[in-house]
Amino acid sequence: MSTPVLEVRNLTKTFKNVVALDDVTFEVRRHEVVGLIGENGAGKSTLLKILSGIYQPDSGEILRNGKKTVFRGVKDSAKAGIGMVHQEQSLVTSVTVAENILLGSEGNAVIAGIYNWRALNAKAQKQLDKIQSPISPKEHVEDLSFAQRQMVELAKALGVEEFSEDEPVIVLDEPSSVLEGDELEVLFAQIERLRQIASVIFVSHRLDEVLRVSDRVYILKDGKCVAERNPETADVDELHRLMVGRESSAEFYRENDQKHVHEEKVVLKVEGLGKSRAFSDVSFDVRLGEVLGISGVLGSGREELTRVLFGAEPFDSGTITLDGKKVRFASPVGAVAAGFGYIPAERRIEGIAQGMSVQDNMFLADPRPVSFGPFLLPKKASEIASQWIERLRIRTPDRNANISNLSGGNQQKVVLAKWLNSPRLRVLILDHPTRGLDVGAKEDVYTFVRQLCTQGIAIILLADTLEETIALSHSIIVMRDGEIQSRFDASPGNKPKPVELVQQMV
Amino acid sequence: MSQTLTTAPLVKTPTAADWKGRFLAALPFIVLVLLVLIVTSRQPNFVALGSVRGLLESMAPILLLALGQTFVILTGGIDLSFAATASFGSVLLALWLPELGVAGVFAVLAVMTLIGFINGFVIAKAQIPSFIATLGALGLYSGLGLAISGASNIRISTGYEAIAWITDIRVAQLPLAALLVIVLAILISVAMRVLNRGKSFHAIGLAEQALLMSGGSTVRIRILAFTLCGLFSGLAAVMLAASQHSGGPTLADTLQLPAIAAVVIGGTAITGGVGGPIKTVIGALIIVVLRVGLTAVGVDPSFEQIVYGIVIIAAVVLTIDRSRLGVVK
Repeated sequence: MSTPVLEVRNLTKTFKNVVALDDVTFEVRRHEVVGLIGENGAGKSTLLKILSGIYQPDSGEILRNGKKTVFRGVKDSAKAGIGMVHQEQSLVTSVTVAENILLGSEGNAVIAGIYNWRALNAKAQKQLDKIQSPISPKEHVEDLSFAQRQMVELAKALGVEEFSEDEPVIVLDEPSSVLEGDELEVLFAQIERLRQIASVIFVSHRLDEVLRVSDRVYILKDGKCVAERNPETADVDELHRLMVGRESSAEFYRENDQKHVHEEKVVLKVEGLGKSRAFSDVSFDVRLGEVLGISGVLGSGREELTRVLFGAEPFDSGTITLDGKKVRFASPVGAVAAGFGYIPAERRIEGIAQGMSVQDNMFLADPRPVSFGPFLLPKKASEIASQWIERLRIRTPDRNANISNLSGGNQQKVVLAKWLNSPRLRVLILDHPTRGLDVGAKEDVYTFVRQLCTQGIAIILLADTLEETIALSHSIIVMRDGEIQSRFDASPGNKPKPVELVQQMV
Repeated sequence: MSQTLTTAPLVKTPTAADWKGRFLAALPFIVLVLLVLIVTSRQPNFVALGSVRGLLESMAPILLLALGQTFVILTGGIDLSFAATASFGSVLLALWLPELGVAGVFAVLAVMTLIGFINGFVIAKAQIPSFIATLGALGLYSGLGLAISGASNIRISTGYEAIAWITDIRVAQLPLAALLVIVLAILISVAMRVLNRGKSFHAIGLAEQALLMSGGSTVRIRILAFTLCGLFSGLAAVMLAASQHSGGPTLADTLQLPAIAAVVIGGTAITGGVGGPIKTVIGALIIVVLRVGLTAVGVDPSFEQIVYGIVIIAAVVLTIDRSRLGVVK
């Protein structure tokens, strides 16, 4: 057997207190398509970032054609012929296809900072020809469909061939997650074509596709490479069991704990809300105990919408009604006083007050439950803080520990406690509440979301993945270019499929 | 639900970094003790009552200015106008005391508080760096002070009895007013502990965004910090006027560096969030002992400002937490 084109041996990587990769070993052989599967947080992205030189491993080695190599940066990895097609597209949408493909590797197509357009386009065309793409290098990326953009990314990734003597290894990170039908077929055909000129690592959590295109499949779980399977003998169920280590994703998301919303009481009513250059004419209701999921790609306006609801940004038109009363907040001060809570995506900056203790963080939003007038009741405060630490299983040396020293999941639990402490909480906005958390901490967050519903709080959710949105929400609105594109019922037993949402998103 | 919760990754116990933090926290006190020992070895009568009294008297105005500045520095800002404001206040006091008497004292305090409020309002509402806004205010109020005083010191004779108690009343031969300043520092420190919003200044300095997103009124707290700084500048003005028997347009200007030095050398982080009034008391003590010590070892008093400048830089270099700063502005 010939030397593998790429080999990873005993790779380990830890972040602060979380082990992201634990002794991972795998290999890619010449002209092979290797599937790499694992749940969110299993370590896939860390592994890919090490392969592309963004992270340095703590220990372990990478071998390229049998030679030990070290990637100190993205350039090193490109020089070794490793091309990445990123999950979140990394194209600059306001310029042409050619500029994107050659970004950073223009070579002699740029002289003294000035483009030689003819040379640039010719070089880009050469890359596009490799994948037999009909896309013109002169087109602007913003005019292309999502699937077409992906082809441009692929052509760009193949550009590594130009400065490497070895045959390229192309890494496709979740390329299929937003494709469907014909587009998917095009992608698979493309992978077959790639196989002739390169080796491919296909990262996905769609198991049927992985089985279809891969020659071999590696399964990552909790940072470990737990198994290697041959697609001819393995099936989806087996892969799934290996991947999640439990029966089904419904269990992961606590779907059985989801209750129907029986209450007809509308807590939050938004009518015709608009903010120039962000979103317009947004209307929806959130009822008592309901989770409203808002989906949309970057630029859909959903982030701005939640910030407006929380009073962090002003709005231009429309009304917000809370418990039957019209409200308008000049700042989050008013929103919090009225009963809004916000769990921000930027946890380390907006969620926790770094440098303050776990206990102080818990009473940052509303100290009244542990106060007598303006005075803090230290005994009561320590009691309640200890109760939360126990109830939410917050791993901390003690309640007075600096919150910066806690892991991301435990920090997020403190942020949750901060809002659960407030007796006036009516609406909780969850902005990517599980971002950057490990699997266990995610499950905890899901459990709390279910509990909050039964406590009669209305929840607005911007989730990390479509699966998360669908599983946690009772109803879903999909936003696109600042407008509500469509609405879905997602009550228990009536869940839409991710692809149905995606169709509305792009 | 308990069985569904998973255990999260381990949290570390105190590390070398924690011990370093504890050492740095205790450092100001160690420095103070060492300084006292050094000066006493050179001047055995240093610990005598007489020199302690002199020490307290010269410390009181510095400590007042430094306490006001502590609020602002805790929020991560700085008020460069505080000494100029105090000078301006002493001029006003000299002009108003003959006619208004005690009411003049309160009028000055009110004006100083208003000046602080305006500083804070401009900085917090218009969101401009406090350093530049107060640099402008520094020019403004020192100019005003020079203009209304005719650029000269104004002696206070009529109406002095309204502030005479500051230097006259003694407790066990120590000046009562200076002792009251220390009591005031302790009271502020206690308030920061027992009030449920007592850590708001710290919270802004540490994580303004997090406080804002928790519904904290960051604008009001910032304004309050500058307002208090103004009030304390006013108190310092009254105290200086009492000890000098006069008001002057540059009366407090030489206290600018020692007061800022007292805050940072006491251990309040220039980046905000860490520290407090008790630390500032220690810092102010270090400054005045240093001042006496310099004279004791024969350093010309005109070199004092050089020492304060170096002390400020050294204290910040030692205590700044670089891991928290992306870009140092």
